[in-house]
This record gives sequence, C-alpha cells and structure tokens, in this order.
Amino acid sequence: MHMHKFEKVWLIFGTVALLVFLTVLGVSAFYLGNQPPSCLVTIDPEKVEVTAPFNAPGLYEVTGKDWDYELVFVASAFSYSPAKVEIPKGSTVKVIATSKDVIHGFEIAGTNVNMMLEPGFVSEYTTRFNNEGENLIICNEYCGVGHHMMSSRIEVVSK
Amino acid sequence: MAVPKLKNKSQTKETSNLKGTLASVLILGIILIIVWVSIYFIFVNRLG
Ligand SMILES: [Cu+2]
Repeated sequence: MHMHKFEKVWLIFGTVALLVFLTVLGVSAFYLGNQPPSCLVTIDPEKVEVTAPFNAPGLYEVTGKDWDYELVFVASAFSYSPAKVEIPKGSTVKVIATSKDVIHGFEIAGTNVNMMLEPGFVSEYTTRFNNEGENLIICNEYCGVGHHMMSSRIEVVSK
Repeated sequence: MAVPKLKNKSQTKETSNLKGTLASVLILGIILIIVWVSIYFIFVNRLG
C-alpha cells in the first residue's frame, strides 16, 4: 500500500502521543495505586442516617492510620452535613462522603478534591490542608432546583 | 472515446501537496499536548 511520507509522520506522532498518555495512566493506576474516589464501598442509601460513620457527620481524629483525621460528609438535596468544619493546618484528612438521595458533587474549590457522591456508594479522598483560610465546598453535579445554593465550608486554622 | 484517459489523470494527481495538512495536524497535536501537560502540572502541584 502506498502511503504519503507526511501521512506516516502524523500517524507516528499520534501513536507515540497515545502511548505516552496511556503509560502515564498505567503508572498512576498500577504503580501509584490511584483509584476512583468511589471504589467498591457500598451503603444502603435509605439507611445513611443510621449507618456508621454517617449517623454522625463531622471531623474525627484517628490514630494509627496514614491520615490524622476522618471527615465524614453526608450530602442531600440541597445541603451538606456538616455545614462548616474547622481543620488544623497541615493535617492529613480522609474525606468520607455519601449521598442520601440523588447524585451530588463534592468539590473543594481550587484543590484536587473533586468527586461524585452517588446514592449507594461511599466516596473517599485523602488530602492535606497546608494553607490557612477558608475553603469552599460546592456541588458540581446538577441535583435539582436548589443546586446552586448547595455549599459547605472548611476553615483551615493554625494549631 | 474519452473513457481510458480518466485513469491516467487520477494517477498523476496521487502525489498531492500535503504540506498544509501536515502543518495543521502537527499544530493541533502540539496544542493538545500543551493543554494536557499544563493540566497535569496543575494536578501534580496541588497534590502536596
Ligand atoms: Cu447539586
């Protein structure tokens, strides 16, 4: 088959780019162990209020784990519980969250924390709060008429 | 009859000028790579 020289150039360019992107993805998933925020942990969405730890949302100090605090969030139309939380600066926090009704978003603006909260699934993300100040949590999955009013705050305070 | 001549004409057209096509494909590719790498660096910087 005859192929123009230029055609070979851009086919090789495209193939190499694809291989680079897939390698980055593969290293991230299989070597660094990255996984989606919602990864096989399930919950009965009707019984969120009586299922630990979601029966008492908030910040909990933990010991003997890779993180210092566990921050439990429950999302429902159209609010988050807790509505505001204070976290000591520099602490590593595992956010554990789920939804009581429909799909909600959970984004801490300006950070990598950005996950979907699906009814029936528990989403988790471990992160560190290095900067003092207020962080805004917003819902970025359209969930109904009150979607734009759905927010919460994380205040990072010095120890 | 004019029919046999058609074949000759299409064969000489085969080596068309693809310089512009190559340039636009590479420009598009480079833009995609720049955008991808920029977003990747934002992600990595926020990992801290
Ligand atoms: Cu929403």
